Amino acid sequence: MKKFNGTDKPWDLTSLPTTEVPKGSVPHAPTDDQCFLGSENIPEAPKLQEAVATIKNWFRASSLNVLAFGTGCGAIELRPLSTSRFDMSRFGITGAPTPRQSNVFIISGYLSTKTLKRAIRSYEQMPNPKWVVALGSCTINGGMYWDSYNTIKVLDLYMPVDVYISGCMPRPEALLAGFDYLMTDIKKGEANGWHHYLENLNWYRENQKQVINDWDLPEYSW
Amino acid sequence: MFKINDKTQWDDGSGQVIDELKARFGDHPVHFQRDDLARVQIPQKDLLPVLSWLRGDTPFVQLTHMTAIDWMEEGEFELVYLVTAPTLLTSLMICIRVDREKAQAETVFNLWLHAETYEQEINEMFGIDFPGSPRQGVPFILEAWKDIPPMRRDFDTVEYCARTHPERPGREHQDTRKYVGRKFGEKGFLK
Repeated sequence: MKKFNGTDKPWDLTSLPTTEVPKGSVPHAPTDDQCFLGSENIPEAPKLQEAVATIKNWFRASSLNVLAFGTGCGAIELRPLSTSRFDMSRFGITGAPTPRQSNVFIISGYLSTKTLKRAIRSYEQMPNPKWVVALGSCTINGGMYWDSYNTIKVLDLYMPVDVYISGCMPRPEALLAGFDYLMTDIKKGEANGWHHYLENLNWYRENQKQVINDWDLPEYSW
Repeated sequence: MFKINDKTQWDDGSGQVIDELKARFGDHPVHFQRDDLARVQIPQKDLLPVLSWLRGDTPFVQLTHMTAIDWMEEGEFELVYLVTAPTLLTSLMICIRVDREKAQAETVFNLWLHAETYEQEINEMFGIDFPGSPRQGVPFILEAWKDIPPMRRDFDTVEYCARTHPERPGREHQDTRKYVGRKFGEKGFLK
């Protein structure tokens, strides 16, 4: 059993504990990502892995917990979305009060550099896997804040975005359509923005530090 | 009781507050903007006497708003104090001019406690100092701002924005005239 090396970069996935299975023994208590590490002796193991991944992704797509963090005017669309008229709990989407309990982050509208710092901190505290939905044209190209001194223009320089929803403001129907895209992507196993963030953390950090002048966040906000 | 919300009284300048203000502090220009709003331009040294007199001896007891205007060409800032009489539903704009190079004005924090927040914001956004006011220099909206104060007119917002916030490729700003003209196929559209 390889032990977790605390000195390594915490986001380096290779330093996560792996299970080394001695030959002839039965693997027990596999970790989540190495669920079928010792299963090469099982016939049709790839198919089985695929089936398990499909089921896992289906579960993930069916329980989306949206973080209660409204950054801009778009947060006003989340109220009709979550209440009776456009009831989002039909699709297994519900709200979550803290980053530790949520896995979907809706950047709802413009993001000032001051809020960006808090958004990054909240995003990193969310457990993996997690997804970001960017709402409105402000997150795409700045929108009506394209010449604002205090508002970022391109969100995916600072955070991995899985779904963009255009409009100013998008209606709750558009949000539901965006969630539909997101769930489809999760079921296909293609919504891997969180993975991209961990792999390219230094690139994201450079971009973030360019706009946030007083950087005082830890190396990674676990 | 002062009667100054009557338009006829505003018009002939017989508003008692205005009259008394002129009698006490000199004949300063008064502009009657609306039935319930007049603007008085006073010199900077008269600011505290006028405001304390309004606060103490007249119905104008409430500081509703306080803001600054940048007259860059004249080398001056204008500070506007909007003082309201709640019983008369009437407001007075007391305006002073401050030198732009040595941007400094007296604090009215001792008259209205909430002026502290206005003064903090003006200090951050325009770079005008209010000595004696608490929270001067403490960040209010901006965080770790390194450039000149952003509401000064010599601050080039577009240039700053292009320098700090990159555009998405292919989504740069387009000239609206050219874009609309091309879209509608008319030469010189919106000329």
